[in-house]
Amino acid sequence: MAREYPWRRRAGWWLQNRRYLAFQLRELGGVVSAIYGLIFLNLLRTLRAGESAYTAFVDMMRTPPILYVNLVLFALLVWHAVTWFMLIGKSQPIQFTERPLPWRAVFGVNVLLWIGVSGAVVYLIFGGF
Amino acid sequence: MAGRDVVFRVKRYRPESGGKPAYQDYRIPYRDDMVVLDGLNYIKDHVDPTLTYRWSCRMGICGSCGANVNGTPRLTCGTYIRDVHKGTVTVDPLANFPILKDLVVDFDDFLTKLASVTPYIVREESGDLSKEFVQYPEEVEAYRQQSLCINCMLCYAACPVFGASPEFIGPAASALALRYIRDTRDEGADQRLARLNTKSGIWECTFVGECSVVCPKDVDPAAAIQTLKFLATMRHMRRLLMPGAPSR
Repeated sequence: MAREYPWRRRAGWWLQNRRYLAFQLRELGGVVSAIYGLIFLNLLRTLRAGESAYTAFVDMMRTPPILYVNLVLFALLVWHAVTWFMLIGKSQPIQFTERPLPWRAVFGVNVLLWIGVSGAVVYLIFGGF
Repeated sequence: MAGRDVVFRVKRYRPESGGKPAYQDYRIPYRDDMVVLDGLNYIKDHVDPTLTYRWSCRMGICGSCGANVNGTPRLTCGTYIRDVHKGTVTVDPLANFPILKDLVVDFDDFLTKLASVTPYIVREESGDLSKEFVQYPEEVEAYRQQSLCINCMLCYAACPVFGASPEFIGPAASALALRYIRDTRDEGADQRLARLNTKSGIWECTFVGECSVVCPKDVDPAAAIQTLKFLATMRHMRRLLMPGAPSR
């Protein structure tokens, strides 16, 4: 029997094309959403621990290095959300007529809803824009 | 147009030599109407008869001639040299499969997976086979897209999930499973969904979507897998809430 040469994947496979890179960033965005969850849980913990703990945590979150990290995390989170909205119309085609709705239409509606809900949340928290 | 050359950088593997796969360069003349397969055939006929690769129909039907051309899985019979070369055309065997020789890879694993989803019409009862089974155009349309699959394996070569987890059933086998599940003549949906509703089945897919990008027949296996996830979930819920009810 002929000797096969086993397949070996290169470490940088995800740099091979921009779609692989976009996918990897989307997956990284998923990890980031978990990190955000932990940050908010810690915020609740410090709130429960008392005013000084809460203030110390908020002050730490306001330091420039943390703000920069947050900026990167936020960008990845937005990428995660946007790319998932792009997949909704492809994963579950919505069909009112003979042909399913184009994924771009489903994406557009989801983004509009997202902006609307985010605006409502901001309004509720800050009492206006 | 005469007088133009292109360099084919082809991955060679000779199992009898015991070495690792390595590139070999061939400078060949080409015209604008030549596809990559024509280039390989030119090398085989005029330069190096030991070069080994698969091909058959030369018209995008048999699915034999798939290879990674400049890093992207393509049918070499449907890829014009003029569209892919910048002085050099790099041809590798399809990624994610063990290499048998040069551009020939081992598909046995895929064939086992394909067989596991019973890629044919399953009837629970033989019934009256002399009677015509009427199918309306919209019923044919429901599975037409998946029925176009030619088993060329480009989707497996493009799938990083299959590259990382070879036990994953993969795009083509899933798309073909959906093709038969959607066929009104078929009664084997339950056994197919039981096979697919596993960790190594459809749930391994993280929707990279590259399988649908490289598919030469627009089968869209990525969407097929997401549809199967929905069907498998509905089947599971039906079995949970209504034990004993028919699964379709």
